[in-house]
Amino acid sequence: MTSRGISIGVARCLSSLEWLFGLNRGVPQGKVRWVVDGLAGALALGVIAATPAAAQEKPSALGLGIFTFTSGPAAAYGVPGKNAADLMIDEINAKGGIRGVPVSATYVDEAQGAQGVIAEYRRLTGDAKNQVVIAALSSANCLALAPLAEQLEVPTVGWNCDTHQLLMDGKSKYVFRPNGNTVPEFIAYAIYLLDRKPDVKTVAIINPDYAFGHDAAKIFTAALKALKPDVEIVAELYPKLGSPNYQTEISRLATARPDVVFSNLWGADLENFVRQAAPRGIFTSSQVILALGETVLQRVPLPDGVIVGVLGDGWWMSPDAKAKPETVRFAEAYKARFGEYPVFPSIKMANTLIYVKAAYEAAIQKNGGKWPTRAELAAAMKGSQVETLTGTAQTRADNDGLVDQIVGVTTKTPAQQFPVIGDMVRYKGDSLMPQAGQDPLAWIATLKPEFAKSLPKPGSYK
Amino acid sequence: MPTIIAAAAVLVIALLPQVAPWLQFVLTLAIAKGFAALGVAVLLRAGLISIGHAMFFAASAYAVAFLARAGVNDLGLLLILSVLGGAFVGAVAGAFLVRYRAIFFAMLNLAVSMVFYALCAKLYGVTGGTDGLPVPVPAVFGLVLGEPAFKSVLFYLSLGLMVLVGLAVRRYLNSPLGHALSAVHTNEIRLEYLGIPVWAVLLIAYVVSAALAGLGGAIAGFAIGRVVPDFAFWTASGHLVLIAVLGGIGGVPGAFIGALFLELLHSAAVTVTDSWNLIVGMTLIIVIMFMPQGVYGLFARKEATSL
Repeated sequence: MTSRGISIGVARCLSSLEWLFGLNRGVPQGKVRWVVDGLAGALALGVIAATPAAAQEKPSALGLGIFTFTSGPAAAYGVPGKNAADLMIDEINAKGGIRGVPVSATYVDEAQGAQGVIAEYRRLTGDAKNQVVIAALSSANCLALAPLAEQLEVPTVGWNCDTHQLLMDGKSKYVFRPNGNTVPEFIAYAIYLLDRKPDVKTVAIINPDYAFGHDAAKIFTAALKALKPDVEIVAELYPKLGSPNYQTEISRLATARPDVVFSNLWGADLENFVRQAAPRGIFTSSQVILALGETVLQRVPLPDGVIVGVLGDGWWMSPDAKAKPETVRFAEAYKARFGEYPVFPSIKMANTLIYVKAAYEAAIQKNGGKWPTRAELAAAMKGSQVETLTGTAQTRADNDGLVDQIVGVTTKTPAQQFPVIGDMVRYKGDSLMPQAGQDPLAWIATLKPEFAKSLPKPGSYK
Repeated sequence: MPTIIAAAAVLVIALLPQVAPWLQFVLTLAIAKGFAALGVAVLLRAGLISIGHAMFFAASAYAVAFLARAGVNDLGLLLILSVLGGAFVGAVAGAFLVRYRAIFFAMLNLAVSMVFYALCAKLYGVTGGTDGLPVPVPAVFGLVLGEPAFKSVLFYLSLGLMVLVGLAVRRYLNSPLGHALSAVHTNEIRLEYLGIPVWAVLLIAYVVSAALAGLGGAIAGFAIGRVVPDFAFWTASGHLVLIAVLGGIGGVPGAFIGALFLELLHSAAVTVTDSWNLIVGMTLIIVIMFMPQGVYGLFARKEATSL
């Protein structure tokens, strides 16, 4: 693409020489003019010859743009995602790639902010080799890239961003998310909590101070109020993202003495909070919910009985995951290569790659063996149902994903040195999602206590 | 001779996206930041460092988003109104900020801009919090364009504006009002004795510089398609000061040279390694240590010797 551009540029410059030096006027310069014209013509011919005839021919290599955080505090999630992508791509290539075409990834650091991310997105998608982009981790970046993906008509798969605003208008043709969104993810905790602790009266919330933290608080509170109207929120704390010290917030929590402390802190913030809150007795005085707690299980000694989950079904030790030999193999290979078992961002990334691979295979099959275009790939993703490492990812008509939600509590097991998730429940993906096009918060307000009764109970998923 | 060099440079920039189409976005963004850095450079004339100009950059970008939501859908109108919005915020903030000098001026600018940042991030219902607001593709004189065509229009429009606004600012800096800025820097009291109101001189400069930052912000908002509070964060302000210093405080082209240099360096570094911050930082140290006059200083000095 670039070389083509350069040759066009050179050809144009050469032809402009004629105009610039008046080569087309005087007779003595006629020969020079011939030379220049000839050069320009030859270049133009070369350009046409070098232009790929169509995207239908099988390429020699398949590029993937993968957007994740590789620097800054959010790398605590970004790097496990990148590791999983490396491993998964190696596995795909070891089996001959996608229909014989090897896959390679170009990683883009999301820590540059929206401007840099957009610049890189344009650069990567300008190359026809990169047919699909896997972007992004941050919801703000997904929201920034979504209109661009529609305009440039590039299939773009959100691998971790979960804002419910992303696909709300239902008009997306090229943006996909084979994951749940914030709505089912945080309703699940409200339902699980009320099943496990029906007499809960007071709740405190401590979430990071950005859209994800505020969205989660809003959804969790709305669901609690709908299912048990007498619950009172006694404190809502929003410490700054990346804050190293939570002593003030912990003091507030200690004096408020709520029945329940809900938090969707994550990454290093969550580790810091747990290390500072545990000695001050927050885990014994209140039932703590750590919505993204699975990611720190292997790093900090969480006490028993903390409600944790994986924002989806991506728990590598779930009964479904253990029943799949490829998942067990993936987890062991991950441990061998990176020294830790995968956390849910890794599983989300691996599942997204499986999703993309499945889309290629479906599109090729539909095409009668020919290599698909970007539009055909997007069509193959639409409405697809893909078997992932940990369950199934169903894509709805509005391109949002339906995945099951696993919630449980921390418990000890002789098989591992770190706490694992026990007393699990697995809610069906569609049971916690509003219909496409429905306003999520209005839908939550319509929920009745009977709704929760119809769902599976804690401990039912074994 | 300098005119020819400048014209050639503009021509090269205009042709670059033909060679590498993705560069168009990077260059548009660089020009946008160049406008904001030029605003900072105007105040630097008077010896005032503003570590808060990203506020006007963001204010104008948010103005575009709000106006677009309210139904204004014309590129020209949006640009003019949002620049006026940026200038208005500048007039309000400038009215009390220009009474301070040196570190107090820098710190108060920083403080005010961080208040603005916090409002953008916290007023979740109004500004969309950290997820920000979308900026739709507007019509250009009634023409509804597709995304790629609009981005080309935006690029060439910013390039044209760069030349026009650059000439206008040069005219302003060479006017008595502009020379008064340097006079503020050297001896403020003498200026008062000459009967020139320092407060008015500085307020005009402040509003001009806020409007320049606003123009940059509006262009950046259109180019990115989304406005987020990070636009107003203090690191963004620091970035603008850096561009102004890097390019060279001497003249108008300095700000744009600095912005182009930094954006292209960033794009290049990001493609090479994850530690792109390291490359960018090292290069900045090298430029500051060995080119105290900035990148523009290289050209300006040659000019001086040839005279």
